Amino acid sequence: MISLPPLAAEQVFKIGSFPISNTMVNSFVALLLFAIFAFFINKGVKKYYADNKAPKGVLNFFESILEFLLSNIDNVTKDRKKTLKFLPIVGTLFFFILISNWMGLIPGTGSLGLHKGAEFIPLFRPANTDLNMTLAMAVFAVIGSHIIGILTIGFFKYANKFIKLGDIYHAVKSLNPIKILTAVIEFFVGLIEIFSEAAKMVSLSLRLFGNIFAGEVLLTVIASLIGGFGAYGIPLPFMGLELLVGFIQAVVFSMLTLVYLTMATAEIHGHDEGHHNAEEKASVA
Amino acid sequence: MIEFIHIAHAAEEAASGGVAGTLGLNLQYFIGQLITFSIVLLILWKFVFTPVAKKLTERTEKIEKAMSDANSITREKAEFEAWKNQQMSSARQSAAAIVAQAQTDANKVKDQTLIITKNDQEKLIAQARSQMETEKSKMMQEAKSEIADVVTMATEKILKQKMDSHKDQELVKEMLSSIK
Repeated sequence: MISLPPLAAEQVFKIGSFPISNTMVNSFVALLLFAIFAFFINKGVKKYYADNKAPKGVLNFFESILEFLLSNIDNVTKDRKKTLKFLPIVGTLFFFILISNWMGLIPGTGSLGLHKGAEFIPLFRPANTDLNMTLAMAVFAVIGSHIIGILTIGFFKYANKFIKLGDIYHAVKSLNPIKILTAVIEFFVGLIEIFSEAAKMVSLSLRLFGNIFAGEVLLTVIASLIGGFGAYGIPLPFMGLELLVGFIQAVVFSMLTLVYLTMATAEIHGHDEGHHNAEEKASVA
Repeated sequence: MIEFIHIAHAAEEAASGGVAGTLGLNLQYFIGQLITFSIVLLILWKFVFTPVAKKLTERTEKIEKAMSDANSITREKAEFEAWKNQQMSSARQSAAAIVAQAQTDANKVKDQTLIITKNDQEKLIAQARSQMETEKSKMMQEAKSEIADVVTMATEKILKQKMDSHKDQELVKEMLSSIK
C-alpha cells in the first residue's frame, strides 16, 4: 500500500488557538538553522572585520558564495547599488528555499510523526510542499517589488506603468489619431498588466510547490515500490535528482524575483523625455 | 484500506473547500509561514547580508583604488620616462651643438695661430738671412783686408830676397801657416 503525502499540510499541534502544521515545523527548524548560521557569521564579522583580518572558516566560505551571488545579481541589474539593495530579499529567498528543499531529504522528514487514532501525521514535512509557504514567499516577492518600485521611482511614475492616463493625455494633446489609438491600446494593456501581477504570484508559488511536492511523491512512490534492501538503494539517484531540483527551483524563484525587482525599479522614459531625446538626436544628426 | 479512507476523506474535504481547500490553502498557515519567512529575512538582512556585503564592497573599493593608484603610478612613471628621454635628447643636442661650436672656434684660433706663427717664422728667417748676409759681407771685407795685408807682406819679402822656386814654395808655406 502506497501512502502518498496529501496536498495540504497537516496540523501537528496548536499554540493557543493558532494551528501549527508540519511544514511550519520545518520552517521553524530552518529559521533556527539560519539563526545559528547568522550567529556564527556575526561572530566572524566581529572577530575578523574589526581588525581588518582575512576571514576564515564559515565567514570565508560564505564570502565566496556571496561574491558569486553578487556577480550573478549584477548580470541582471547591471548596477551594483541596485544589487546591494536587492541582495537581502533575493539572497534570503534563495537560501531559505534551498535549505527548506534539501531538508526534505534528511532522514526523519516524513517518517517521524504522531499517530492520531489510525491516522499518521508526520512531524516534519518540507516547507515548500505547502502552498501556503510558497504563496507567502511569492506574495512577499511581488508586493515587495511593487513597494520598492514605488519608493525608487515615485508613486505616480510607477502607477503610470499600469494606468497610462498620462500617455492618453499627451496623445489627445497632440491631436494625432494614431497616437490616440496607440495610447488607448496601451491603457488597456496596462490594465491587463495588473492581472499579470496576480498571475506572477500564482505562477511563482505553484511552480515551486508543484516541483517540490512532485519530488516528495516521486521519492515516496519509488521507496514504496521496491521492498527489502532495494528500498534503501533505489531512491538514492532520485534523491540526487531532488538535490538538483531543489537547487534549480531556488535559483528560478530568486532570479524571477530579482527580475521583478529590477523591472519595478526601472525608469520608464515618458512622453516628454522621449520627445526631447528625439529632438536631441535630430539636432546632433 | 486506511489509506483509501484517508484519500476519500481528503477528497471530501477538498470538495467542500474548493480549489483552495484542495491545495491546502489556509489563512492561518499562510500568515504563520509569512511571519517565519519575514523573521528569516530580518535575521539574514541584519546579521548576514548587510555586514558581509558592506565589507565585500569596502574591500572591492580598496582593491579598485589600489589598482587605480598603481595604474596612475605606472602612467606617471611612463610620463616621467618620456620627459626624461626628451630632456636627455635635448641636452645631448645642446652638448653636440656646443662641442661643434667649440671645435669651429678652436679651428679658427688654430688657423689664426698658424698664420701668425708662419709670419713670425718668415720674419725671423728673413732677419736671420739678412744678419747672415751682413756677417758674410763683413767677413769677406775682413778676409779681403787680411789677404791684402798678406800679399803686401809677401811682396815685401819677395822683393827683399832673390826668389827661386824652392824659396817661393817655402815662403808660401810660411805665409799659409801664419794665416792659420
